[in-house]
Amino acid sequence: MENKQSSSPASFVDSTVVPGDVVLDLSSMTNQTIKLGGGLRQDCDAISATKAGTLRFSKPNKYWIESSQKRYVPCVEDTILGIVVDSKADNFLIDIKGPAMGFLPVLAFEGGTRRNIPKFEVGTLLYLRVVKANFGMNPELSCTDASGKAAEFGPLKDGYMFETSTGLSRKLLSSPACPVLEALGKKLSFEIAVGLNGRVWVNAASPDTIVVVANAIMNSECLSGAQQIIMLYDLMDSLVVVLLRETKK
Amino acid sequence: MEVDGEDGRTQNQLRPLACSHNILYRAHGSASWSLRTRTLRKQTGQIDNLLKSYLMRMRPWLNGNKEALEFKFHHVWVWFRYSGLPLEEAYEMILKRTLQSICHLTINPNTTTSIIIQVINDDSALLSCAINAACVALVDAGIPTKHVAVAICCCVAKSGCKMKAFAYLAFPNSVHSVLPERSSSMQGKPIEHGIVTSVTNGIMSADNYFYSLERGRAASVRVVRVSQEELATALN
Repeated sequence: MENKQSSSPASFVDSTVVPGDVVLDLSSMTNQTIKLGGGLRQDCDAISATKAGTLRFSKPNKYWIESSQKRYVPCVEDTILGIVVDSKADNFLIDIKGPAMGFLPVLAFEGGTRRNIPKFEVGTLLYLRVVKANFGMNPELSCTDASGKAAEFGPLKDGYMFETSTGLSRKLLSSPACPVLEALGKKLSFEIAVGLNGRVWVNAASPDTIVVVANAIMNSECLSGAQQIIMLYDLMDSLVVVLLRETKK
Repeated sequence: MEVDGEDGRTQNQLRPLACSHNILYRAHGSASWSLRTRTLRKQTGQIDNLLKSYLMRMRPWLNGNKEALEFKFHHVWVWFRYSGLPLEEAYEMILKRTLQSICHLTINPNTTTSIIIQVINDDSALLSCAINAACVALVDAGIPTKHVAVAICCCVAKSGCKMKAFAYLAFPNSVHSVLPERSSSMQGKPIEHGIVTSVTNGIMSADNYFYSLERGRAASVRVVRVSQEELATALN
């Protein structure tokens, strides 16, 4: 990356930008191909931000703006949680918290044929993968992974689903595990499915555990790692008190 | 407003500003903007000009190839102006034009963005408050925008408190840029010297108008800083 005399492109990476900020100057980066992710727009030679957030860069050439929203913008290969809204002859219509409904073809299941089309009622929660997300079209979804296997996709039974922002979903799925989930996992046993569209599903043996897990996750959005652990121990203490009271009855 | 007022401000002082965002649960984006008046001698307590602006969910709507913006302005009182139009409709039209010019409308075709402005209390400078709140709500919701518009209400007064005329002015925010100074300008002037909206009421001379523009631009720098700090604290 060439450095300009007044300010280098690297100076905006990992810093907060607002809509309108010009973050890259293409005239100084000839013979390079760069990939622009969400939140960036090209105006002739200048790349400007259209969302408020943090500018991120990943080698070799990807730039994007990371921000947390309640609204989800569908992206290929995202795993999301969708709710069935309607079923047509060829597709299920799925609400994915995006600008348009998603289409789930009736054959997009492992071993799916015209004879064994699954019957989903309106309101069923599904764990899905985004196959196509083109501008102006409804996104296409699938209940299989890229090789056609079921791989945990499909309907989620029982449990409790709640909504969060997209930023929190990304934190929960990040690769050194999120402090909240690690700490919860050491004490409680539960299963969890996180959709990148801001939906989280939790299931456990008892409703108390589900409520504690859900509250812990929702509270952890604005807290740092250490604060999350402290918040968690407070919640757990109240859970222990409730359980002791129940066993005394 | 910059007036020798009962609240003890001098001519060049802004009213204290407060801004917060993400206050409503169901809306995609929400913001609240308040211009505070310090103690008024004749009335007890403080009166705040508090505005909440919230965006409803974007819903799929057949609207040709462009995204549409629809507005609803809820006011506590209804009062009429000599322009003949009910005031809310006039404000809705001005807000719609201002925000349409800063949104990228072709990014999500066939969708409608609903913006609802709710006035909690009106103590003048309503339109500038509404524009600021709506812009912060748009940024909070993640709707792609070209820049953030910043609005100021500037008034021209004779000595004493009698107001002759006032102007609502909206400017684009000043941008940080990696480009060298000359290429981020339009026709030799920096981007932040442009103007998005200007609505005037009353009688003022051309000199007074240009003077208000300058004062408005200077004041908008402070307003921008308030909203940017608010967004930055949320992101960190």
